[in-house]
Amino acid sequence: MTAYTAYAKKVFLGRSAYRFDHLMSILSTVLQFFIFYEIYRALYGGEDKVDGITMSMVTTNFVLSLGLGTIFSPDDYFLPNKIWDGSISTELLRPISFKGRMIAENVGNSAFNIIFKFIPVLIIAVLTTGVQAPADAPHFLLFLISAVLGYGVLWTISFAVQMTAFWLVNIWSLITIKNVFVNVLSGSMIPLWFMPEWMQGVLDLTPFASIYFTPVQIYLGQLSYGGIAVKCAIQIVWTVLIYLIGDLLWRKGQRKLVVQGG
Amino acid sequence: MKDTLHLMAVYTKTTAKAWFQYRVDAVLRSLAVFLREATGIIVIWFTLLKFDTLNGWDIYEMLFLFSLLFLTYGIMIIFFTGLRDFGKTVRDGSFDRFILRPRGLLFQIIFVNSDWFAAIGHGGLGLVLFLLSAGKVGIQWNFFNAIYYILTVAGGVLIQGAVFLLLAALNIYLLQTESLREMLYWNMRKFAGYPISIFNRFIQVIMIYVMPFAFVNYFPAQFLLRKSDMAEYPEIFMYLTPVIGVLMYLAAYLFWRFSMRFYKSSGN
Repeated sequence: MTAYTAYAKKVFLGRSAYRFDHLMSILSTVLQFFIFYEIYRALYGGEDKVDGITMSMVTTNFVLSLGLGTIFSPDDYFLPNKIWDGSISTELLRPISFKGRMIAENVGNSAFNIIFKFIPVLIIAVLTTGVQAPADAPHFLLFLISAVLGYGVLWTISFAVQMTAFWLVNIWSLITIKNVFVNVLSGSMIPLWFMPEWMQGVLDLTPFASIYFTPVQIYLGQLSYGGIAVKCAIQIVWTVLIYLIGDLLWRKGQRKLVVQGG
Repeated sequence: MKDTLHLMAVYTKTTAKAWFQYRVDAVLRSLAVFLREATGIIVIWFTLLKFDTLNGWDIYEMLFLFSLLFLTYGIMIIFFTGLRDFGKTVRDGSFDRFILRPRGLLFQIIFVNSDWFAAIGHGGLGLVLFLLSAGKVGIQWNFFNAIYYILTVAGGVLIQGAVFLLLAALNIYLLQTESLREMLYWNMRKFAGYPISIFNRFIQVIMIYVMPFAFVNYFPAQFLLRKSDMAEYPEIFMYLTPVIGVLMYLAAYLFWRFSMRFYKSSGN
């Protein structure tokens, strides 16, 4: 366990070194938020509610999903980079689990992001636009749990896609296309309340709404306790299912592994 | 002159061959760029299924607005990939090779490389959006409007080209300008897909006077579409795109010529 903690800490400290990059990424998230905020202000045009959804609920959706997005940001190139430069061969010889290390480094990264990205973005958003408070204390607690589960869904999607790097030399395209799906369907660019009805049906069959939208709905108090239990169960099912697919690829991939030099 | 044209043809053929060496990969990469860039448009399409219009702009008018942005970038990057990657050329010292060759520096930088995936991804998207929207936004495609459109696309290409040229010249002093481009160009470009009238005054000022994306797509689209939010801006803005393009490019070019005198090789 201490080995994994060390890896997490290493990433945390490593990230602190690149201050300018870091400021840029905060700026980029804040600008993205303002663009969506201004678009919806124009779309609402002074109306209180659209389909029972208030402007401040829309704002809260964007702050939370873009904010959680800055925390989660799994490293899509963790495995591909190690396959390209051949260091995967030494990684596999180490006496600790590669997947464990992958998770540990990601958690270290996320811890850094909570403090140095999420909080600044949140403060700026609260000061300039106004974000709703959570429905009540139990809902806030359940929101935190659901956010962690959402992280699980996003991480396993990234994990499973990365595993195809064993077969495809260049998976930049695949990862980019994956991110398009995540961005459009997770609710971080369009609040899923406003998706057309046929699209809601499609969303129910995919894991994307489980990433940010479920935590947001819980935060806003839109779901009953029964509803929360169901949605969280769905998050867990997706995490396990996608992990199993990724793990299958991981085991097949190691047998297939070809290292070019290294 | 004939010699120069021949050289341009040879360079273009070589870069295209290099980029399309792995066919499946080339198709996938172009598709990925296309989809990545289309993300914002897919989102606005879903949004307008619900809300109908954004500050008076319907979905086809929005697509037309986006198409100018992507078309101009797609054309620009065919020529300016070398300037986009100029920082690397300076840092690894390969710029010295260019200096030794008996051709203009800018000529070589422009023609020795083209990011064909970006060109196809962005330009293809721009073309698709144009074809989807051009017939449905009530534009009379007469001779005059067609000439205006061509000039304004050329102006948009020059405006963005000037920014890339300026940033490339700054590499002579700073060695590293990627973050500056990220801040000035890419961050401001995020605003450019939408009618600038929805943003607050501060952003509008930047989009018009600092990083003039408004002249790449918003004002030209206004000339052809005449939406009511144009009342907030001077009418002359709709005619300025080619002029601003030429002036900005000229200024950037002079700065580039000036900066070259200070070039010190980083290689050994």
